[in-house]
Amino acid sequence: MNKFYRNIFIFIFAAPAFIVLIGVVFYPFIYNVVISFSNMNLSHIKDWHIVGPKQYVKVFTEPTEPTFFVIFLKTVIWTVVNVTFHVVLGVFLALLLNQKIRGRSVYRTLLILPWAIPQYIVALTWRGMFNYQYGSINLIITKYLHLPAVEWLKNPEEAFLSCILTNVWLGFPFMMVVALGALQSIPQELYEAADIDGASWYKKLTSITIPLIRPVMIPAITLGIVWTFNNLNIVWLVSNGGEPSDKTHILVSFVYKAAFNLYRYGYAAALSMVIFFILLVMSLTFMKSTKATEAAY
Amino acid sequence: MTSRKNKKYYLKAATHAVLVLFAIIAVYPVLQVVTISLRPSDKLLSTSLEIIPENATLKSYISLFTDQPFLLWVRNSALVSITVTLTGVALASMSGYAFSRFNFIGRRMGLLSLLLTQMFPATMLLLPMYLMLIYLGLINTYLGIIITYTATALPFCIWTMKGYYDTIPVSLEEAARIDGCNQFEAFYRVILPLAAPALVITGLFSFMTAWSEYIVAAQILQDTALWTLPLGLKSFEANMSTEWGLYGAASLIVMVPVVVLFLVLSRWLVSGLTLGSVKG
Amino acid sequence: MRIHKITYCFLLLLSFIPLSCTVKRDLNRVVIWHQMRVDERVILESQLKKFMEHHPGVRVEAIYKETEELRSGFIVAAIAGQGPDLVYGPSDQVGPFQVMNIIYPLEDLFGSEYLSKFNPKALTRYMGHLYQIADKLGNHLTLVYNKKLLERPPETDEELIEMGKKLTVDLNGDGTIDMYGLVWNYTEPYFFIPFMTGFGGWVMDDNGNPTLDNPGVVDGLKFIKDLRDKYKIIPAEADYNIADALFKDGKAAMIINGDWSWSGYRKAGIDIGIAPLPKIIKTGLWCAPMVSPKGFSINITVPKEKLPLVAEVVKFLMEPANQLETARQLNTMPTRVELYEDPFIKNDDILRNSQIQIERGRPMPVVPELRAIWDAMRPSYQAVLGGVISPEQAARDMQRLALRKIAEMNE
Repeated sequence: MNKFYRNIFIFIFAAPAFIVLIGVVFYPFIYNVVISFSNMNLSHIKDWHIVGPKQYVKVFTEPTEPTFFVIFLKTVIWTVVNVTFHVVLGVFLALLLNQKIRGRSVYRTLLILPWAIPQYIVALTWRGMFNYQYGSINLIITKYLHLPAVEWLKNPEEAFLSCILTNVWLGFPFMMVVALGALQSIPQELYEAADIDGASWYKKLTSITIPLIRPVMIPAITLGIVWTFNNLNIVWLVSNGGEPSDKTHILVSFVYKAAFNLYRYGYAAALSMVIFFILLVMSLTFMKSTKATEAAY
Repeated sequence: MTSRKNKKYYLKAATHAVLVLFAIIAVYPVLQVVTISLRPSDKLLSTSLEIIPENATLKSYISLFTDQPFLLWVRNSALVSITVTLTGVALASMSGYAFSRFNFIGRRMGLLSLLLTQMFPATMLLLPMYLMLIYLGLINTYLGIIITYTATALPFCIWTMKGYYDTIPVSLEEAARIDGCNQFEAFYRVILPLAAPALVITGLFSFMTAWSEYIVAAQILQDTALWTLPLGLKSFEANMSTEWGLYGAASLIVMVPVVVLFLVLSRWLVSGLTLGSVKG
Repeated sequence: MRIHKITYCFLLLLSFIPLSCTVKRDLNRVVIWHQMRVDERVILESQLKKFMEHHPGVRVEAIYKETEELRSGFIVAAIAGQGPDLVYGPSDQVGPFQVMNIIYPLEDLFGSEYLSKFNPKALTRYMGHLYQIADKLGNHLTLVYNKKLLERPPETDEELIEMGKKLTVDLNGDGTIDMYGLVWNYTEPYFFIPFMTGFGGWVMDDNGNPTLDNPGVVDGLKFIKDLRDKYKIIPAEADYNIADALFKDGKAAMIINGDWSWSGYRKAGIDIGIAPLPKIIKTGLWCAPMVSPKGFSINITVPKEKLPLVAEVVKFLMEPANQLETARQLNTMPTRVELYEDPFIKNDDILRNSQIQIERGRPMPVVPELRAIWDAMRPSYQAVLGGVISPEQAARDMQRLALRKIAEMNE
């Protein structure tokens, strides 16, 4: 009897979410898989047919400038750098905010603003701040730091860096909020006991804080990796669509250009599937190494 | 004795200094948007660094409420976002609990498949989603949007709830069962309150997903009467003739509910709840 | 347990089926998708209101979508059998829409007598059929100058350089230039076209094949580089928003921008003059920007019974009175031939100069290959400006890339 009720309980609890998910995501996914093996493009938009793995071959061998592997590498760098800074800054600020200091709620409110503001206008504002002559960043660098101005948007490396800086700014509040929540799950007594034992702040951080916020941070980090990898908006807006010369692209912005500029839907579908598998492998590896799917016991 | 007091003082001062620095970094671009909203002509950029521009005017704000159906968009967005938040929190809190406490067939696959749904570049899903929604008669309906947004937000929410539940000792439920609660009551009365911080994260995230989402809304909603805020904002935008004044003003106002929600919810986020009710 | 889940899933799948069939189209409701700016929209709304007063029982709704989204959104909707009845936008939409077979040919619906009243440039034909009727002609770049800073606009490239040099000054002696003679979004190929044509080049031949590897392109590229590096009359870094801001701040004497921007500058309080782009002395050619009409096409999913009503809406919006009102408020060029005799059109300073520029301009190609050409031009163009490759190399690269992209698009 007990087992039966237990199963019903699980079902009622877990199933509704899944029904929604399967409905909304499953069909588009299958559709995309099918299209990726077809020749859907400008001239074959209604009468497309399956042509086998031709599009996949194109993804890897087409002489695009830059090549697939270069863009892939850039996307990895983009993801790793962004997520690292998001998490480090987020946890750091959460730790500071978790203490009893005056004006705590003021700080919290101000620090969450990057998350709250619509991305479009703020990305373009950042782009404006990176302007060589009139942007605030160069003005601050030259006037207050007495360093030479940087041509942020002109060269590929600096342009990429500008996108990263903007995205770090946009993303750290989210990790901060998650970290703040995670910190609440740590019982005060543990810290008190550690203090009695004379532990240093470093020991407390590495032995108590970090292990205990892991269960809540890991989902955020995993998803942060996935979202950052696929974040089209910021790269597109700050670099104005890949400038200079299509060198500031990550995989998704490249897909966007391929699909929507030249109507090559089959190609874009195949490229999207490749992106999907890359992410799948990356996330599975990450989760396996952090044992994220384990239950409470 | 005094040296320890001094050390504490310096630490506190340093903490404040760091927080102030980051607060400035966080706020400065937002201030630029304020400037944009106050400029009389539609200018995204300016050669001057002033925060309050010369000839600052509230014209854009006034126009937003009188010429544009801004309040309608706010109402629509609020309706959609609140529904998504409630649905998301409810479904996620339950699913996360099942994943955390029970071992059942398809548990691992279920968790992984949640992740899988996030890995696909959204722009590629538009055409099939549109076709599917037409087939289901959900085009141009709020039900269609609510279902889609909930589905988008759920994976993160479920994972987060599960992760948080994992940090709550099972012994608490056992204690509750001994006291006569059944499983559901144990969940509802004991565990859920303790998971309040995670519920806050889940709620905020669901709200933000619905409040600021544009692509799906643009695809699904065809009636201007149904427009949500992101669609409304986009109507000020054009490739080369964006109404920056209106856009800036609207962007700032759009932020306000999010910040208010955060303020209201952060009480439970930093409440310092302890889990010391059961030792060991 | 497994049985439970399986039955549930099965029931769920079953429930998907009867939930709906295709959405029926309302025969008395006309939907227009457009990409009109806010001030254009206001006029459209008021004109539609008048239409609905004349036709009780009919509802016309206009929905705004940004140009690129309009294009992709319309494609998705039309393929799914949905979408608006009318789609309004620039003429280059016609090429892809026709190839995808999602718009109606219009010549029979409107009749040649009606069509003869329009400027031929406003009727976009492709593959032997008429696909778009325009109510505005233009979308062209012109020289816009600040009358407070510049009395007489330059008429040749040498005058442009000379005046530019005089007007590019460091006002407060701090080493940075405070005012530029000329600014514009010169990093975008569309804004490069006038100089390409001024030196004798063009993007494609009559068959849609790209012709980017020619001396006109090379000389045009060199000219722009010289403006920046040799004569130093344009800023080192300028995109659309920067150029716009500089001009609105009164920090630039001239800007090259399109007719969509003029009312914005007037709103910002700049006393602007419009002038046609200069003539290049070396070639004797005028700089010719691309000119494109903006008009209506009809979605192929519109049921046959509804076509007359949809055509009615278009004809109403094209009435001389309505076109004249639009021209007055927005400085756009109407498309009805009779209006060109109207005193307002003839005497208004801005419209007169605009008309001259349109006459000197070249029609924007509507073939889908144009998009491939833009994408092919951009990287090399920016590389030249970045000093990475020479103009000659850039022209060769552009041509090569354009050919490849066209091939990819048409596979």
